[in-house]
Amino acid sequence: MSITKKPAVPKTATTSWRIVDIVIAAVIAVSSGVIFWAWNSAHHLFDIMFLAFPPSSALLAGMWLFPAVLGALIIRKPGAALFCELVAAMVSSLMGSEFGLTVLASGLIQGLGAELVFAAFAYRKFNLPVALLAGAGAGLFGGINDAYIFRWYHAYTPGMLLAYVVFMTISGLVIAGLLSFLGTRALAKTGALGALASRRAATEPILR
Amino acid sequence: MPATTQELGAVSGVPETPHRHAQAVAVSAKNWGWRHADRTDPALWGLDLEIRAGERVLLAGPSGAGKSTLLYALAGVLEEDDDTYSTGELLLDSIPASRGRGMVGLMQQDPETQVVQARVGDDVAFGAENLSVPPEQIAARVIAALDAVGLHIPLEHPTSALSGGQKQRLALAGILAMGPGLVLLDEPTANLDPAGVLEVRDAVLAALDATGATLLIVEHRLDAWAEHVDRVIVLEPGGGISCEGTPEELFAPGPVRERLIASGVWVPGYTPDLGPLASAPGPGATLLEADGLSVARTRGGAAVATGLDLRIAAGEAWCVRGANGSGKSTLALTLGGLLPPVAGTVAATGDLASGSEKRPYRWRAAELVGRIGSVFQEPEHQFVTNTVAEELAYGPRHALAPGTRDPLFTEEQIDARVAMLMSRLRLGHLADANPFTLSGGEKRRLSVATVLAAEPQILILDEPTFGQDANTWRELALLLREELAAGTAIIAVTHDTDFARALGAEEFVMETPPAHSGAQPHRNSPGLLEADVRGGASFLGQVNPLAKLAAVALATIPLVASMDWVSSTLVVLVTLLALPLAGLTIPRFMARAWPLLLAALFGAWGTALVGIDSGAVLLDLGIFTITQGSVAAGAATGMRAFAVAIPAVLVLFTTDPTDLANALAQKARLPHRFVLGALAGMRLLGLLIEEWATLGMARRARGVGSHGSAAARLRANLGQILGLLVQAIRRASRLAVTMEAKGFGTTERTWLRASVYGRRDLVVVGAGLLLGTAATWAAVALGTWNLVWG
Repeated sequence: MSITKKPAVPKTATTSWRIVDIVIAAVIAVSSGVIFWAWNSAHHLFDIMFLAFPPSSALLAGMWLFPAVLGALIIRKPGAALFCELVAAMVSSLMGSEFGLTVLASGLIQGLGAELVFAAFAYRKFNLPVALLAGAGAGLFGGINDAYIFRWYHAYTPGMLLAYVVFMTISGLVIAGLLSFLGTRALAKTGALGALASRRAATEPILR
Repeated sequence: MPATTQELGAVSGVPETPHRHAQAVAVSAKNWGWRHADRTDPALWGLDLEIRAGERVLLAGPSGAGKSTLLYALAGVLEEDDDTYSTGELLLDSIPASRGRGMVGLMQQDPETQVVQARVGDDVAFGAENLSVPPEQIAARVIAALDAVGLHIPLEHPTSALSGGQKQRLALAGILAMGPGLVLLDEPTANLDPAGVLEVRDAVLAALDATGATLLIVEHRLDAWAEHVDRVIVLEPGGGISCEGTPEELFAPGPVRERLIASGVWVPGYTPDLGPLASAPGPGATLLEADGLSVARTRGGAAVATGLDLRIAAGEAWCVRGANGSGKSTLALTLGGLLPPVAGTVAATGDLASGSEKRPYRWRAAELVGRIGSVFQEPEHQFVTNTVAEELAYGPRHALAPGTRDPLFTEEQIDARVAMLMSRLRLGHLADANPFTLSGGEKRRLSVATVLAAEPQILILDEPTFGQDANTWRELALLLREELAAGTAIIAVTHDTDFARALGAEEFVMETPPAHSGAQPHRNSPGLLEADVRGGASFLGQVNPLAKLAAVALATIPLVASMDWVSSTLVVLVTLLALPLAGLTIPRFMARAWPLLLAALFGAWGTALVGIDSGAVLLDLGIFTITQGSVAAGAATGMRAFAVAIPAVLVLFTTDPTDLANALAQKARLPHRFVLGALAGMRLLGLLIEEWATLGMARRARGVGSHGSAAARLRANLGQILGLLVQAIRRASRLAVTMEAKGFGTTERTWLRASVYGRRDLVVVGAGLLLGTAATWAAVALGTWNLVWG
C-alpha cells in the first residue's frame, strides 16, 4: 500500500531540538566516553611511540574530537557539535581526566571549531567536505587551545607548537571528520537513525 | 474483570491508595492511520476503535501490525514531520491524543530504558515533576505509588541495582505518581523471566484496581493476561482490526483461535505442535567436558557459580535452568570459549579436540566458529556485515582448521551452505537487506543461521525464544531438532520449559546463590558516575556541586596562568590535606588518581626531553639532551599537570551527577531539557560498558578476532564501535520515548529535590578563592611566577 495523502498540518523539519535529539546526542557523547575508556589501556603505549617527537602525539588527538562531528552529522541541529563535545568532555572529567576541570573549557573550544563550520553551511549541508572541514576545525581550535591558550606545552619551541597545531588539525580532519562521516552512513544503513533528521544519510550524495 | 482477592493478597497489602487520580479515560479512533518517517507502508490504516473508560483491553496481532505505533500515538509521543503521514482522528475522551499530556502513562518492554533517574525516589517523581505537581504532593505520591506496586526499598536506592522485574514495577510506580486515567503497556514483561512476569502482572492489576484507570496492553504471550482483561482486540498488518471479543469468545476452540494461531499469536494454552521427537539414537561420543568448573562474568571477576561438572555428547540437548543471577549465561559463555574458567577446566575431547589445544577459550576465534557456536540473546550483537548473504558467509569464510592457517571450507562449500540456510530459513528474499533492518523474528532466524553456517559440533543458545512469536518459535525448534539428529550437541539457556521439552533436553539446574535477593542483577560497575557512598556522606558531599566547581575553578586559575612549581605544589599540598573532607584516605585517593600521576610524569618527561637546555647536561640522546634546566622545566610541567587534575578528584568523589544536574538546571539556570537529557544519557554509561564487553564476546563467537592483518584488526575494532553506537542509539530512542511519555520537555517543571545554597557553600568557595590567591602570592613572592602567555 502506498499513501499519497499529505498531512493536514505539515510540519517542516525545524532547527529546534526534540527530546529524542537531546537524549541521542547525550548518548553519543556518553558512548564516546566509553570508547575513550576502551582505548585508555592502549593510549599510554602510543605516548611512548611519540616520545621521539612529542608534538606528533597530536596525530591521535582526533580521537578526542570525533563526538563533535559525529554528533552534528547525526543530530543535524544547531549546537549539536558543541553539546556532544561538551558532554563527552564532562563524562571524561567525571571518569577522572588528567586535565581536571580544564577539559570542560577544552571541550567547549573544540566543539566550537566544528560548530562554526556547520553554522557556516547554515546547518543544511552534512556531506563529506563539510564533515572534513568540521573535523579540521575542531582540530585547529583544539590545537590552538592546547598550544597557545592553556599552553600545556610551555617548553615547546614556536616551531614545535606550530607543528602540534598542524598535526591536530590533520588528525581532526581524518579521525573526527572522515571516520565520523563513514560512521554516520554505516549507522544510517542499520536503520538506527530512523527517528532523526539524518535517517537518509546513507543514500545522500557524498560530495554535494 | 477484577482480580481475585487471593491474587491481590499476593501483592501484599495494597493500600486504599490516597492518590487523587484523574478520571478513567476513554479512547476513540476514527479512520485513524499513521505512516512512520522511515517507512514506505503505513503502520496502521483505517483504524476504528472505541474503548470505554475503565475498560481493560489486550491488543494482540502479528509483529508489524502497528500495535506499538497505536500505543505511542495514544501516549502523544509520535511526532509529525515532513516525512510522516497521518489520517483520521485519535481521541482521549474528546481531546486529540497528541495533546493528552498527563492523562496517559506508557511502559515499554526494555527495563533498562524505562528508568530515567539514578535514584528510586527521583525516578518515581520524574513524571509528576514534569506535570508541575507541587513538591509536597509529589513526595506523598511517591510513597503511595511505590507501595501500590509493592516495591519496599529506600528512596535513595540506586536504580541500577534493581532486577528487571523491579525496574518495570518502578516504571509503573512512576506512571501511577502521574495519576493517569489511561495506562499503556507495550510488552511490559517480554524481557522478564516467568517469576518477573507474574510479579509485574500482579503489580499492574493491583494498581488498576486501586485507581480504576483504563488499561491497554500489548502482549505476545497471552497466558498471563487473558483472564484479567475485558476484551481482546487483534490488529491486522497494514490495516485495522482483524477481530475482537472477550477472551472467552476469541480463545475458545474454533476458526478464530485457529486464525490467531496461524498468524503466530500465542493464544492461551497453545504450544506449537512439532510432531513426535525422533527417538534418540543414543548418546554419541563425548565432545566437551567441564570438571569442577567455576565461572565469573568478567575476566578476573568473582565466581558466580562453582563446582560445576558437565559432559556434553554429540546429538545431545541440554537445557540450563536456574534463577536470575545464578550464572546460567555465564556458564554458557564459559563453555562457549568466550570467558576463561575461574577454576576447574573446560576441555574438548574426541572429535572436537583435533589440534593440540583442548581449552576452547585458548582457541583463535577462527578455530572456534567451526567447533562451538554461541547464539546470543540479542541477535544484533552478532551482526558483523552489511547484508544477510554476507552475514551467512562470514563464519565459514573465516573459519580455520584447528592449529593451522588453512581455511576450513572451500568457496563451493560456503556457497552451498549459504544457499541451503537461506532457503531453509526463508531468508532468500532478504539476501541483500541490512541485517539490522529485519523484523524481530527474522533477526532471530538469521542469528541462529549465521552460527550454524560454520557447522559447529556444539551449539550454545542463550534464551533463544525470548520475545518470539509462535511461528518463529516453531521454526526454531524444528531446525534445532534437525541439528540434533545430525549429531550436533545443543546447550540452551532457557526458562521456556516447552522449548526444552520440544528438544527432549536434559536439565542442568544451577543453584540459586545463597545471598541471592533478586536485587543484585548483572552489574559489574554500578556506580562509575555515582558519588562514592563515603564521599557522599563527607563534608564536601553536603556542599552544592556548583560551589565545589567554583572553588576548584578559582584554585585552578593561577595554575593555568603560570608555569611554576611553587603555585602547583601549594595546590597539590592543600588538595591532599583536604582529602579527609571528602572522606578519602591516601590509598583510596591513589586508586583514582594514579592515571593522573602517570600522565603528569609523561608530561614531565616530554618537557625534560624537548625543553630549552640550560645548565649541566645530564643525559645525551643525540638530537635531544636532558639538562638541569630542562629537568626543572619538566618538573614544573608535571607538577602543574598534577595540580590541575587532582582537585577535580575531590569533586568527582563527592558529587552525584543527579545533584550536579539539579544544581545546573535550578541554580545555574541552564535549560533543564538539555541538562536532564544529558543526565539520562549518562545513566546508560554503565550499561554501555557492559554492552562493549558483550559485543566483544558476541563477535568472537562469529569468528571476529585478533587475527589477520593490522587493517583487518582495525576494521574489527571499528565494527565493534559501530555495534556499540547502534545499541546506544536504539536505547536512547526508547529512553526518549519514556521521558516524553512522562511529560518531559515543557518549559516549566517542579523539582522534588531542591538545589540549595548554604553557609558551607560560602566557606568552600571562599577556601577556593583563598587557595588561588595564596598560590599566586607565594609564586610571586618566591620569584617563580612565570606567566605562560609571556
